[in-house]
Amino acid sequence: MILLTILLLACITFTSRYLFLAPKLPLRIGAKITHFLSFSAPAVLTAIWVPIIFVKDNSFNGSLSNPYLLAATVAIITAYKSQSVYLTLSLSITVFALLHFIN
Amino acid sequence: MSFKRKQAYLKMVQKGIIDMMPLNLAVLPWGILCGSLAIQRGLSELEAILMPALVFAGSVQLVVIELMNNNAPLATILFTAFIISSRHFLYGLALRDKIKNLPMQWRGSLGFLLTDELFALSGDTKALKGKLRLIYAVAAGGSFYLCWLLWNIIGIVAGNYLPDLTSIGLDFAIAVTFIALVVPSITNLAMLITVVVAGVLSVIFKLMAWELGLVLASLIAMYCGYLTVNQQAKLNTVKRSVS
Repeated sequence: MILLTILLLACITFTSRYLFLAPKLPLRIGAKITHFLSFSAPAVLTAIWVPIIFVKDNSFNGSLSNPYLLAATVAIITAYKSQSVYLTLSLSITVFALLHFIN
Repeated sequence: MSFKRKQAYLKMVQKGIIDMMPLNLAVLPWGILCGSLAIQRGLSELEAILMPALVFAGSVQLVVIELMNNNAPLATILFTAFIISSRHFLYGLALRDKIKNLPMQWRGSLGFLLTDELFALSGDTKALKGKLRLIYAVAAGGSFYLCWLLWNIIGIVAGNYLPDLTSIGLDFAIAVTFIALVVPSITNLAMLITVVVAGVLSVIFKLMAWELGLVLASLIAMYCGYLTVNQQAKLNTVKRSVS
């Protein structure tokens, strides 16, 4: 039963990824929709990362003592100034670890 | 195949793996959590390995394991998985014109590997154009698949001896990787509005514990970005006609 569930789940995740890549699907994407979709990456990725920073155990944490918030601020500034993934990661994770260590 | 071309292919494989490496490492805590949770909730080793190997989706794995453990009906499990996966429809739509006419082996493998992380690396307008960029994408996505599998296996084998890495704050790694990828793409007002709307709405929906919130927040944010560009274009035509 669990195996069957896993197989069905695999079908669902694969279909959700593959469906719109299938050439047989009778769908033409116009210029307007293409333009709309050009915002998908920043929109979805932001909708994933912002709750990690602000929501802990189903409640909002916007206080300045929230280590996630401080380290994310460092990350945003570093990413904006340097545009480097590796520099952003190493700086902000160091800050995050230090804050964790202090607490 | 000429030696030179082979070297160019190898170089793209290398570049794909290197560019994906931060994301590969960022999901380590989640992978370990998924693997160990599967075992703790009574799945066999084989079932626990098939989860990342076939389902290959962190948030679906986590939620579904809990649902299975609560003896939720199959329909509930599948429907929940569908809702959580629905953001992938957006990725397929966004990449459709680039991928739909490719040979089956590229379409199939990119389709299977199309995670949040691979999509994050495919935002460039030139992405996926030409064989070299396809090799790059499959190498990046493939390395992510192998790492995800490996992290899950570590969780399956050692989960009981490791602390919950997300409870000591290691979920910050995935947030900061996405920050590093999103922030440099904010080059105009429309992108800024998209990101701010997505951020605010996603938090509100998350607090409402709404599984569909992620997709809805994204769609509204995308529409706001789209409207911004249209309004700016309108303003510009008005300005031009005035002057």
